[in-house]
Amino acid sequence: MKTISFRRLGLLALVAFTCLRAGAAPALIANKNVAGEKLDAATLKSVFLGKKVAWDGAGRITLAVLKGGPVAEEFLKGAVDLTPSAFINHWRRLAMTGGGTAPKAFEKEEDLRKFVAETPGAIGYVDRAMADDSVVILTPAP
Amino acid sequence: MKIKSSFPGQGRAVLAFFLTGALAAAGRGAIPLGSSNVQIGGFFSQGYLYDNHGDFPTQDEGGTFDFREMALNASTTYGAHLRVGAQAFAQRFGNIGGDRVLLDWAVADYNFSPAFGVRLGRVKYPKGLYGEALDLDIVRPFIFLPNAVYNPVLRDFASAVNGGSLYGTVNAGQGSVDYKLFYGKIPMGPKQGVAEFYNDFGAYSNPNGGVAHLAMDYAAGGQLVWNTPVSGLKLVYSRSWFSNLQSDGPFIAYPPANLHSNIPKFTWDTISAEYATGNWTFASEWQRTGGTISYGAAPFTPLIVSAVGWDAWYVSAARRFTDKLELGAYCASLKPRYPGSGGSAANKQNDLAASIHYELNEHVSCKLEVHWIDGNYQMFNTPRITNPTLPDSSTVIAVKTTFSF
Repeated sequence: MKTISFRRLGLLALVAFTCLRAGAAPALIANKNVAGEKLDAATLKSVFLGKKVAWDGAGRITLAVLKGGPVAEEFLKGAVDLTPSAFINHWRRLAMTGGGTAPKAFEKEEDLRKFVAETPGAIGYVDRAMADDSVVILTPAP
Repeated sequence: MKIKSSFPGQGRAVLAFFLTGALAAAGRGAIPLGSSNVQIGGFFSQGYLYDNHGDFPTQDEGGTFDFREMALNASTTYGAHLRVGAQAFAQRFGNIGGDRVLLDWAVADYNFSPAFGVRLGRVKYPKGLYGEALDLDIVRPFIFLPNAVYNPVLRDFASAVNGGSLYGTVNAGQGSVDYKLFYGKIPMGPKQGVAEFYNDFGAYSNPNGGVAHLAMDYAAGGQLVWNTPVSGLKLVYSRSWFSNLQSDGPFIAYPPANLHSNIPKFTWDTISAEYATGNWTFASEWQRTGGTISYGAAPFTPLIVSAVGWDAWYVSAARRFTDKLELGAYCASLKPRYPGSGGSAANKQNDLAASIHYELNEHVSCKLEVHWIDGNYQMFNTPRITNPTLPDSSTVIAVKTTFSF
């Protein structure tokens, strides 16, 4: 039996990690009762900044966000043009000045997905690979 | 160096109240952002303040731990559009605040649409970039917002109004405009920080208690925030005014006589810009205040009328170096629009500040800040803030730790 060297194992691990990172992309997910809502980029920004608090037909909007990580960083940059720390400070400011109710924050993407699946009106984001058929994946219009 | 430290019975009660709330929030799994429809949050911030000349609103006794804020809030939603919530707040800033628990805000908020919403109750007072978040050092790199525009002694004067506001966001091409309009009353009294302005004026008899009564008819104003098409750039204009700002108290020359003052309209205009790009945040604001004050102790003195007001500006920059470390600095200027005769130092307050902000984790952050202050305009010598000598310059060092949830 041919022995695989540590050096080759390390190289394989690095390649695998790089492929996984390159494939990681955020997916916007929502509770199935949100599927019929009209959503474009401007509305999405309004939702995640707390300016839009209710869907047209799906009740109150409940935001679910990740506490940090590359998925959060990429999603927030694209959706609201904020860094994760700036996004957190935005909601701290709103919650502590009477301007809004802060999002639900999760360490793990599977917990966020489960929450969105079980909460009518909920919207959030996870890595695309973590999205399943318990939620709807939304693609906002430009 | 004598260090003044005070956490008397009332302060301990407030701390117990806060800790109870924090534990309740933890028990509900509400840290950091709630697991049921009722959301509980808050913060506790304790600091140490050293001023080499005691010009800052602490007594001239060196360092002090009388430097803290705490808040506890709860909110919930009913249906798709209605939200209610309230926040209690307590502060000790030298001899101001006294750890007294106050109602910071309490609102019933109905959001009809992103373009129009109504808040009723005790609503925060929008002024400049950071007026509504005066107490939230957790959301900024600095311990102190520039004193020139955000004087902490005036906190109770600038924090909230009992009334209501209209708010919303409208599209403006590739950007958007947020608007707020508010109207309400600001409860006033001689224990508030604003009383120091009157007691320092030199017309009230401080040995006989200083100003005894403060009142105003109403406060009103609005704010426009233009979220420009340039990523990270926003421009803000705020205007507000107080109607019939009045004071009464014993006249310094003859205490049995009452000195009455009135400012029929005192206005605040603030123009602001904030630009966030990458790890940098730049901000600058310019503010002008003004009005006409009439005062007299009839029948012993004639009615005197004079203009009053000040101009202020600052420029700040902050950079986040890592997820945990942020550095910031600002320079600020404050001067009266109608200089008095007290010499050049009494007619200016220039402040150069540098700050280090380190976040231990998502709940705890620490800051170290130094101020080099040139001038002593709007620094006080009153029974509550005793500074028999006001030197031309001073250095202030502040250290603060904040726990938020």
